[in-house]
Amino acid sequence: MAPDPTIVLGAVAYDPKVVTIWEGIRAHFQRQGVPMDFALFSNYERQVEALLAGHVHVAWDTPLAHVRVKRRTNGASLSLGMRDSDRDFRSKVVVRKDAGVRDLAGLAGKTLAVGSRDSTQARILPLHFLKAAGVDLAKVKLLPFDTDLGKHGDTGTSELDVLAALKDGRAQAGTIGDLVWVGEQAAGRVDPARVEVLWTTPPFDHCMFDALPTLPRVQADAFRRVLDGMSWDDPAHRRLLEMEGLRKWMPPREEGYASLTAALDAQGGW
Amino acid sequence: MAVDGGDLPFAGGLLALLRPALDLVPAGGVVALLSDSASVREDVASWCRAERHDFLGTDEVAPGRFAHRIVRGSLGVPRGPREDGLRLPTEGGRVTASSMLEAVPFPAHADPGSGFAPRGARVEPGGPAYPFDLVDRDRAAPPEVARLYDQAVAAQWDATKDVPWSKVGDHAPALERAVGQVMTFLAENELSALYVPARFLPRIHPAYAETAMLLASQMADEARHIDVFLKRARVGGAGVGVSSATTSRSLLSLLEVGDFTEAEFLLAVLGEGTFLDLLRFVGDHAPDEATEVLVTRARADETRHVHFGLAHVRHALSTDATLYPRLEAAVRRRAATLHDAGGVPAALQDALTVLAAGGTAPRAIAKGHDAFRELLDVMGENRVKRLVHAGFTQAQAETLSGLHTANFM
Repeated sequence: MAPDPTIVLGAVAYDPKVVTIWEGIRAHFQRQGVPMDFALFSNYERQVEALLAGHVHVAWDTPLAHVRVKRRTNGASLSLGMRDSDRDFRSKVVVRKDAGVRDLAGLAGKTLAVGSRDSTQARILPLHFLKAAGVDLAKVKLLPFDTDLGKHGDTGTSELDVLAALKDGRAQAGTIGDLVWVGEQAAGRVDPARVEVLWTTPPFDHCMFDALPTLPRVQADAFRRVLDGMSWDDPAHRRLLEMEGLRKWMPPREEGYASLTAALDAQGGW
Repeated sequence: MAVDGGDLPFAGGLLALLRPALDLVPAGGVVALLSDSASVREDVASWCRAERHDFLGTDEVAPGRFAHRIVRGSLGVPRGPREDGLRLPTEGGRVTASSMLEAVPFPAHADPGSGFAPRGARVEPGGPAYPFDLVDRDRAAPPEVARLYDQAVAAQWDATKDVPWSKVGDHAPALERAVGQVMTFLAENELSALYVPARFLPRIHPAYAETAMLLASQMADEARHIDVFLKRARVGGAGVGVSSATTSRSLLSLLEVGDFTEAEFLLAVLGEGTFLDLLRFVGDHAPDEATEVLVTRARADETRHVHFGLAHVRHALSTDATLYPRLEAAVRRRAATLHDAGGVPAALQDALTVLAAGGTAPRAIAKGHDAFRELLDVMGENRVKRLVHAGFTQAQAETLSGLHTANFM
């Protein structure tokens, strides 16, 4: 009997729309003649173990899950692709205007709201970059929002918690991802008289499709090719791309994860 | 292209200046955002990333004042030319649908992916396809449609107060019952004329909105006619009469036609055309001023409906050589389903005879009967004339007219 050619993909169900997204992308793969199916996990830790154990062929991973897979495979894992929105991500330090914080040195003695401890953009990297920029974090009081642990910040809930804490004065400063920040501003949900941006981190990269090096080349190539065939201008793809937060799938690149690897080495969290 | 954002931050209204400025340049075009805001300087790259514009960089053009250079991205750019320099004439304080159509002509074909976007709008790609299937100008929108729409809108009237209702008066019971029966038949037919176009309206691509708008005005006409005919039946005291199975079968065969041109042909050219002669007959023999006024007003509306049907079929015939055989087949199919329908429904024939007689005296009835037979001849002659006017040959017109239902509509 020929082996089952179906590519089984793991994704974390951080929201009910994840079912709609992957049902739609699976239908796209099937129309392209590439059998694909998906399995949903409740958290990235379980998904990473399932990938390493060979229960799924491809895992749609957060940056934290991605660097863990890289490390656990001694760098041998395959990176298959990412969203356009995963490139050059940045985090923002946002402050209350009445807090008198004019620069990063001004954070000393202030309360800094931060997102979930497994959120790359709302906690791990902003703290890493602040430290690198010379901020003594021991002098800053952290107000953590460890919501949706295991989802690695996908839900964005902890970032909205940070903004809420700034709005009602529980914190004078906070760290969030740039997409949430510009999105909330564009939607009119940020009061510019009360809150403003203070600082922006250097860029880093976000999610990645990970696979084990044992994934046959033909399947890896087919996976990339079919993803690449999704178009923002195609009504059948448009809704899926909107829900997944991208306009174009991009080839993988590794250099955007160096800062996260360094942060985990320094902070722990592997 | 440059836009001055002053000290506005992204959260403070800047986007209402920046996004329209970007919309004015093509994909790949550069907009310089001038800004005094430190927060904009901090956020501009992130905003460009989120919106898939390319951020080229920032120059300090004066102390504390920056020019952020943004290249418009290529994803999701609305398609089509910008409507620049278009100004509708307002002669005599009027703006007509005809001048609109002249300025923004119908496309030959329309894309179901543009949804409800008005004709001329630039459409962002990636929207869903809509279930419009009347997407060809020659099938959906004759050139006269905007002019007919202008006329229709100007000619609306009020069934509550534009008929001299107090002048219905008292008639002999048999004559009033005849009026009630005629009004019943008229209302029943107008109900079909309300429902039949309603089936096609949601299938018309909005690029041909004038046709949908005209049908809407026709439906408003039919609603008013239904109202006015039933009011007449009940103001006189006799009430409504009988609905025959023959009429019902005939109108169902009209409701079931799935092709717009065939339906327009059967309903507007053959049906409503014949209806014009019937309304004239009722008006000529109206027993009171109210009845005369209401059928005359209804007839004026129906004349427009027939004009649209004629324009539609004439235009379709001139652009589609296969149409005549299809229309003849449609008429034959309908005739076949009605083959056992007999002639004019008995209750209607009797009512028209009594109406034309002005009462039930036998000598008058003899005249009424002659008038009724003459009506059938007139209907036949006028139907052939209308068909010739619609673009059929004399022989084709006679064939089609001969196949038309004896049930008038």
